[in-house]
Amino acid sequence: MAQVQLSGIAKTFGKVTALDAMDLTIDDGELVCLLGPSGSGKSTLLRIIGGFEMPSEGTIAIDGVDVTDLPPERRPTAMVFQSHALWSHMTVFGNIAFGLKLRHLPKAEIRERVEKVLDLVGLTGYGARLPSQLSGGQQQRVALARSLVVEPKILLLDEPFASLDQHLRERLREEVRDIQQRLGITAVFVTHGQDEALAISDRIVVLADGRMQQVGRPGEIYAEPKTAFVAGFIGAMNMLEGTLADGEITASGLKLPAEGSGPAKLAIRPEDIELAEPAEGRTVTVRRMIDFGAHVVIDGKLADGTHLRIQTDKAIRVSQGDQIGIRVESWTVFTEGDEPRRYRSDTVRSFRGARYA
Amino acid sequence: MISAPRSRVGGGGLSGLLLVALPVLLLLWLVLWPVLQAFVGTLYFPGKGFSAASYVYFFSDAYSLRNLWLTLWVTALTSILRVAAAMPIALYLRFRTGSIAALVQSLALFPLFVPSVLVAYAFIRVLGPNGIVDTLLVAVHLPKLPSPYLQPAGPIIGLVWEGLPLTLLLLLSGLGRVSTASVEAARDLGAGGVTIFTRIILPRIQSSIIVALAFNVLGLFSAFTLPYLLGPASPEMMGPYMQRTFSDNADPLNATTQAVITFAFCAAFGLIYVRAIAKGRKGLR
Repeated sequence: MAQVQLSGIAKTFGKVTALDAMDLTIDDGELVCLLGPSGSGKSTLLRIIGGFEMPSEGTIAIDGVDVTDLPPERRPTAMVFQSHALWSHMTVFGNIAFGLKLRHLPKAEIRERVEKVLDLVGLTGYGARLPSQLSGGQQQRVALARSLVVEPKILLLDEPFASLDQHLRERLREEVRDIQQRLGITAVFVTHGQDEALAISDRIVVLADGRMQQVGRPGEIYAEPKTAFVAGFIGAMNMLEGTLADGEITASGLKLPAEGSGPAKLAIRPEDIELAEPAEGRTVTVRRMIDFGAHVVIDGKLADGTHLRIQTDKAIRVSQGDQIGIRVESWTVFTEGDEPRRYRSDTVRSFRGARYA
Repeated sequence: MISAPRSRVGGGGLSGLLLVALPVLLLLWLVLWPVLQAFVGTLYFPGKGFSAASYVYFFSDAYSLRNLWLTLWVTALTSILRVAAAMPIALYLRFRTGSIAALVQSLALFPLFVPSVLVAYAFIRVLGPNGIVDTLLVAVHLPKLPSPYLQPAGPIIGLVWEGLPLTLLLLLSGLGRVSTASVEAARDLGAGGVTIFTRIILPRIQSSIIVALAFNVLGLFSAFTLPYLLGPASPEMMGPYMQRTFSDNADPLNATTQAVITFAFCAAFGLIYVRAIAKGRKGLR
C-alpha cells in the first residue's frame, strides 16, 4: 500500500508533447483509472510511473520517496501488460516464480507464495501448464499473479483486458477490483473503455491530447463533466452546436433555457430526454428504434436533420417516420473559456452549485 | 456436399505438388544426381567391382586428416565468432531505434554487397605484410605485428566479416519473436541485462541460433575463395584441397572422394538445420 505523487510530469518525444505538466496524487489503496482515447498519453503516463519512460520534466514520488530517476527494477511497482507478456518457454509456475527467484527466496517460500497467488487468481493446479495451454483470460490471470506475487506497493495495469471478449472482460475486471480491494493495494489502471473505468475506479483521470481534462469519482465525472470533451467521451451524449441569446440556447431547432450569449455546445444525455406531446421546437422524427431489452433507444432527427438519441422505457414502441415530442430533463451548456452551466427540466432550475453524491 | 470439399482438397494438393515440382526436379537433377554419381563413382569401378580404397586412403593419410581437422575447427570457430559478433549488434538493432541504429544496421549489412575477392584484397592491404597496420606501426616507431595473412587466422577473420550480415539477419528474425513487453516484464520484476538475455531472450531464439550456426557451417565447410587467398598452403581447408587435388594433381577420384566426405559433413549439419526449423515451427504453434 502506498501513495503516488506526480508533480509537473511532462513528456516530449522530439517535437511532440505526449504529456503536459500533470499533477496528480493517488492515495493509498485507491484504484485510479487513466481514461482517454488513443494518443491521449495514458499509457505514457503509466509507463512513466513504472519507470519504463523517463519524464522530460517533473517528479514522481512513491510514499514520499523520489523515484523519478529509478529504473523499473528498482521501483516498488509491478506492471500487467496488455499483451500478457508471459514467457512462453516457462510454465505458469516458472512465470510467477521468476520475480521471487531473482530475490533469492528459499524454494519452499517460493512454492508457497506461488500457490497462494494462484489460488488468489483462481488458477489452483495450473502451475505445470505452459502459457500456450491456457485461454486468453487465464493467461491474463497468470500475468496478474506474476505481478502480485512480488507484493508491489503499486500495481500498474496497461489495458490488461483489451484483447479479451466483452463477457470475459467484465468478469475479469470485477475479479481484479475484488483482488485489489482484498489486498488493499494501490492500483493504476489504463483503459480506453469508459464502461471499464466507470465500473471499477475509485477515481477516473480523463486524458486528451496529453492533458488532464478532469479528475473525479465515476458518478461525478458522468454527471458533471467539466469540458465538452469529457461530456462527449464518458457515456452516451447528444452534443449539439448552438447559440446562446435572450436567455435560451438554440441548437438544431431545439430551444432550451440557458444564460449567456454567443456560440455554445448543448450536451444532453439520452436518458435525460423524456417522450411528450409534439410541440414547437420539441419535435423529433424517428429514424429507427433500437431495442436493448432493458431499455429502448430511439435514434431521431431534429428539424435540421441532426441526430438525437433518446433512451426510454422498454415498453415504448415507435416506428420510422413517427413524429414524437420530447421533454429535456437536464442539460449542460459549454461555452469557450467558461465553466459549464447545468440546468434541470424546462423550468430552468439551475443546479450549478449541486454536487453529485 | 461432402465430395465437394474433398475434391477441393485434392485439387489443392495437386496444385501444391505442381508448385514444388520444378524446384524438386532441379534439386534431383543438379544436386542429388551428381552426389549419387560421385558416391557411386568413388565406390564402384566398372570391370573391377566395388572398392573403398579412396576413402581408406583419405582417412589414413595424415595430410588429408590435417586438412579435414583444419576445416572443422576453422568452420566451428568462425561460426561461433560470427554468432558472437552478430548477437550484440542484433540485440542493439532489435531494441533501439533512431538514426544511430539505422547507421549501425547499414554498416553491419555492408559486407553482404562486397565480393569475396575484394574482401581478400582489402584484408591483404590492411592486415597483410607491409599493409596499412604495419605502415602505421612503423610510422610511430613500433614493431610490426605478426600478420594473420596465410595463417589459419587469415581466412577466419575474412570469413567472419563476410558472413556477419547473414548471421545478423537470421538472429534479427529470431529476436523479432521476442516482444518488447516480455523483456519489460522481466525488467519490472527486477531482472538485469544478463538475466534477461540468458533467461528470457536466449531460450526464445534458440532455434534461430541453431539455424544461423547450421547455415554458417554449410557455407564455411566448403568455402573456397577466402581460404584459398588468405589461408595457409599447408594444411589447407577442404575447398582449396579439393581444387588442388582435381586440377594440380589431376586426381579426380580422390577429389571426388573429398567432395563426398565434405558433402556428408554438410548433410549432417543440414539435418540439424531441418530439425531446428521443425522444432521452431512446433514452438510457434
